[in-house]
Amino acid sequence: MTITETPADEVRNDFDPVLLAVLANRLDGIVREMTNTLLRTGRSAILNTARDFSCSIVTADNELLSAAEGLPIHVIGSQLLTRSMERHHPVINEGDAFLHNDPYDGNTHHADHSILVPVFFDGEHLFTAVAKAHQADCGNSRPTTYAGYAKDIYDEGAINYPCVKIQSNYDDVQDIIRMSKRRIRVPEQWYGDYLASLGAARIGERRLKEVVAKYGVDTIKTFITEWFNYSERLMIEQIRQWPAATLTATTNHDPIPQLDQEIPLNVTVTIDPKEARVLVDLRDNIDCVPAGYNMSEATALASGMTGIFNQLTESIPYNEGSFRRVTVALRQNSIAGIPAHPSSASVATTNVADRVINMTQAAFAGLGEGYGIAEGAIGQGPGMGVISGHDNRRGNSEYINQLYLASSGGPASPTTDGWGFFGIPVTAGIMYRDSVEIDERKYPVLIDECRMLPDSEGAGKFRGAPAGRVTYGPTDTPMNVIYVADGSVYPPQGVRGGLPGHAQTVEKLGIDGSVESLQSAGNVILQPGERIVNITNGGGGYGDPKSRDPEKVRLDVEDGLVSLERAKFVYGLDIEINSSGRAALKSD
Amino acid sequence: MSYRIAVDTGGTFTDVVVADEEGRLVFNKALTTLDRMFDGAREALRFIAADMGITFEHLMSNSSLFIYGTTRATNAIVEKKTAPTAFFTTEGHPDILRLKEGGKHEPFNFRMAYPEPYIPARLTFEIPGRIGSEGQEIRPLDESAVRSAVRAARDGQAEAIAVCLLWSIANSDHELRIREIILDEWPGVPVTLSHELNPTIREYRRASSAAIDASLKPLMQSHLGAIRTDLADAGFGGELVIVTSFGGALHVEEVFKRPIYTVGSGPSMAPVAADAYGSQEVDHGNFIVGDSGGTTFDVSLVEGRQIKKTRETWLGPQWTGDITGLSSVEVTSIGAGGGSIAWIDKGGLLRVGPHSSGSTPGPACYGRGGDKPTVTDAAAVLGYFNPDYFLGGRMTLDLESAQEAIRSQVAEPLGIELRPAAWAILAVANEAMVSAVREITINQGVDPRESIFVAGGGAGGLNAVMLAKELGCKQVLVPKTAGALSAAGAQFADIVAEVQATKYMTTALFDADASAKTLAKLDADLDKFAANLPPALSAQQSRDYSVEARYPNQVWDLPIPIAEGHLKTPDAVAILQETFHAAHERSFAVKEEGQDVEWDLWAARMTVPLSPPDLAAQREDQSGATLRAVNTRSAYFGATQDVNVPCYDGDSLGIGAIIEGPAIIEERTTTIVLPPGSRACVTPLRSLLIDLDEN
Repeated sequence: MTITETPADEVRNDFDPVLLAVLANRLDGIVREMTNTLLRTGRSAILNTARDFSCSIVTADNELLSAAEGLPIHVIGSQLLTRSMERHHPVINEGDAFLHNDPYDGNTHHADHSILVPVFFDGEHLFTAVAKAHQADCGNSRPTTYAGYAKDIYDEGAINYPCVKIQSNYDDVQDIIRMSKRRIRVPEQWYGDYLASLGAARIGERRLKEVVAKYGVDTIKTFITEWFNYSERLMIEQIRQWPAATLTATTNHDPIPQLDQEIPLNVTVTIDPKEARVLVDLRDNIDCVPAGYNMSEATALASGMTGIFNQLTESIPYNEGSFRRVTVALRQNSIAGIPAHPSSASVATTNVADRVINMTQAAFAGLGEGYGIAEGAIGQGPGMGVISGHDNRRGNSEYINQLYLASSGGPASPTTDGWGFFGIPVTAGIMYRDSVEIDERKYPVLIDECRMLPDSEGAGKFRGAPAGRVTYGPTDTPMNVIYVADGSVYPPQGVRGGLPGHAQTVEKLGIDGSVESLQSAGNVILQPGERIVNITNGGGGYGDPKSRDPEKVRLDVEDGLVSLERAKFVYGLDIEINSSGRAALKSD
Repeated sequence: MSYRIAVDTGGTFTDVVVADEEGRLVFNKALTTLDRMFDGAREALRFIAADMGITFEHLMSNSSLFIYGTTRATNAIVEKKTAPTAFFTTEGHPDILRLKEGGKHEPFNFRMAYPEPYIPARLTFEIPGRIGSEGQEIRPLDESAVRSAVRAARDGQAEAIAVCLLWSIANSDHELRIREIILDEWPGVPVTLSHELNPTIREYRRASSAAIDASLKPLMQSHLGAIRTDLADAGFGGELVIVTSFGGALHVEEVFKRPIYTVGSGPSMAPVAADAYGSQEVDHGNFIVGDSGGTTFDVSLVEGRQIKKTRETWLGPQWTGDITGLSSVEVTSIGAGGGSIAWIDKGGLLRVGPHSSGSTPGPACYGRGGDKPTVTDAAAVLGYFNPDYFLGGRMTLDLESAQEAIRSQVAEPLGIELRPAAWAILAVANEAMVSAVREITINQGVDPRESIFVAGGGAGGLNAVMLAKELGCKQVLVPKTAGALSAAGAQFADIVAEVQATKYMTTALFDADASAKTLAKLDADLDKFAANLPPALSAQQSRDYSVEARYPNQVWDLPIPIAEGHLKTPDAVAILQETFHAAHERSFAVKEEGQDVEWDLWAARMTVPLSPPDLAAQREDQSGATLRAVNTRSAYFGATQDVNVPCYDGDSLGIGAIIEGPAIIEERTTTIVLPPGSRACVTPLRSLLIDLDEN
């Protein structure tokens, strides 16, 4: 599978450059308005607080046009969704909306419900507005949206919506709504989140029609061509600055319980500056496994692409135009490729995807100083786990939601320390952090601790960001915590002499004070008084820690991120702290 | 005789507007004097007194009101000159200010540094003790830990302390006890408690409010104290009120206690001015206010004569800056002013900003060594400025430098002619401004086509008509005082006090007793503000009430007014519910018919009018004066041909005069460009009301 290849259009059309900028900003503004709508109206915390959703605009020719601020893992494959809509619904009408979550046919994973609204002008289908949102529950056989346990789609248990019509003439298709409400936990929450996504897509529809009405269909069509060409030109410029090379990299996802062994992963990146093309080849990977960790086509494509885009030194719009210069080669029935039904792709958006991004971006360090990025924090431990149970404060009502609390370490780059509230490579700092108070109000959870962990950074000339530590448990009713961590056995690596970040750990604290170490993927019932403790990964470092600017080390010590001992032994600096809490380099 | 004085001190200029008893407004400006703020105001006041034919001493001793607006607090934060402050927080959660609420722009950018917290780790102290979500005490407060923290904060050279504990909004006992211990250990140190300042859920927002407020106390208390002293020395015996970020003013004593209220207060007066003039000049209640200075363009909104507020004001960038967390006038600020630099990116696209030439070296046409093409240069090249009468003749423009900068850096790379290139710069800058306006209007359900655009600021008149046209606005209003819009607005400011309370409520299980109690508490809190006012003023107050409502499980709210001020009857609750459904559909395209509505946050606002100047009395009759252009210039408006346009002196235009575009009107502090197809009329208040071409 490759992305459509179109020859580069090096010849500049005489489309008004001013209008080009105007319309590009206008479309980004529409996507931002869609995003704002979904955030403010979503019901589950994973949407309305953490923002685990993305909006985008795809052309009627199935090319991604605008995805301002969307999560790359969500939006890079949006065109696969609209292709599927075209295939299954030869006749579409104004007022239709489609619900799509089929990972075998272009969606990311079952938990991401995508709402597709075809946008018409004078009867012509011009765009599709897409709102993709991670649900708090998707009807899996166990209360989690990440079914690492699933040996196949049947074991996974999610409802599959193979691009089904959910609105006709702007009215809900009640059959689909009823079916969903029967099979999804906390149905009112699901319905509210569906409305939020629908509202976002409908807002996109309204605004797109206004833009077309104002500028005319022909101008808009020419704009689309020119905007793609512009984005492609920027990408060509960037790739021409890179040396010709073939880079290979490997990594391992931590052992998973279903396989009892690690998942080995490989990538080969070929850079051809002369032709201004990059090939990310993921075909040399193992077949799909009998567990939920297989990638979907959309996430494999997005991860390979993200590994390349993370190298950019200037901002380039991510759309069909810039994508033309990068080919991601995938294989059928591969864990990092196109999943073969009934293999489960329940965890397709995170674990293996994060590994693919990490190894691809780190591979570039092989080009020499100033290239590549270290590996970032990986895996979703309990600090990003799915909690469920019953809430005594609201008549013992059922609850389920993914937390997004834990701080974790972003990777160091050739110029900058890692980002502090990073999440994982597929979210890359874009998602928001839960409020402790909002989580405690909405769910019967007590969060005892949520902090950055000292001495957990991958040291380097530029260091990774520190790991986080989160401790929480139920207030007065048993709580089920399901999570799919990684990075315990194989923590994020540094590059060019940078050190790895802290390993991920999970522990359960008993009421009697006992400490039990838990495996990295788990399904745990916590009784009132019990606690789960999750230390996330620190990000990997870039370059030799001994070459780090001493002033930066001094500040890290003063900020409580690096201890005096670590400053001495890892960074080679003698530092002292005075009575007012100031750190200073010792003079000798 | 009784005068009212309004002063707006910015970073560079101090604007002063004085109103006499008839409501006549006289204004002037002087350079801001940072070490003693009143010195600058005094200089401007002397000029004004002379204009009015009285002495400075007479003016001061016969003034009943002094309305003071200042960017002092905002600038102190931007320049990191606030007091070193300690942060006391719940044990286990030391990184509330460091982790903020997450979020970042540009997913692929690994070259952005992670932001610093507002208060560093070395001055952050974890306090054992925990309150739960229902207000229950889960672990008791460790008082000895508080005492050690106070001593460590003092050793760490902190000068103020901010306290924010989890769930202090549900049970404030621990925060209150901490303050007692702090003052016992360290009498006199300024302290801010989060639940008193901003009783809202979301610990980061409350903590950030408290941290900013505490850090401003040493500085602002001494600053306001000095103003009070200087005013008394000058013979002023009236009321001193301070302009706040929520578009009103508060008595100096209240601001003393909560100086965060002055953060971002500068731009909050522009919509007040727009509303004051707008409601006199046109029969309309919706105004988009664009205040355009040298480096930024600030947009605010008046909808149905209500100034638009927000609880999401960030100092610095969204997500990575510091949130004030308080309700304030919503101002969208973008780096697109007269000084914004135009450049061509690697893909061949014309971009404007965010870099600015600032005041030094400034735009190329200032002739002070700047060689980058700016928006001001584009306007100069387009023929909009009189090179010899810039800033009322205080400056001569170097047109050749402007032409050269645009030719070499924009026109030639794009392969177009000089004036079309300058036009393109203006168009791209306009587009950024249009996006900013859309963000604050359309994104919140307000249609610009139902609004009038009000232009203010030195650069405001240049593109106001073009912006309004792009937005589809009905008309443009340029008030006579456009050049000093904020100080003029302060003349019309009311005393506005806002209080909040937190109490969970839902329409399904409505608790009338709890509702009555909560509203009574809000009234009691407002009574405390009212007690500081002279009885004559206090008698004129009005109060309104609202809740921040949502559907169950949503976490973001829409402000919904409580009709009639009470929620006693089933009807009142039903009205609130219906109002919410309608507001939700308007903002977000969907509503959930029949669904319950819930809320935690209750707010009450007291408004006390300060008998503002009577604008209506200032109306002048039609003078019937003939139009006489002072000269003509060749200007360019995006067509293929240059056109010869007449230029008018704004002061000489008669009431009722009609000027057909293309034309240029030169005021002392701003230049108003009328493109072809627009038509300006001089109003009875000497403002310009501009009609747009329908096409």
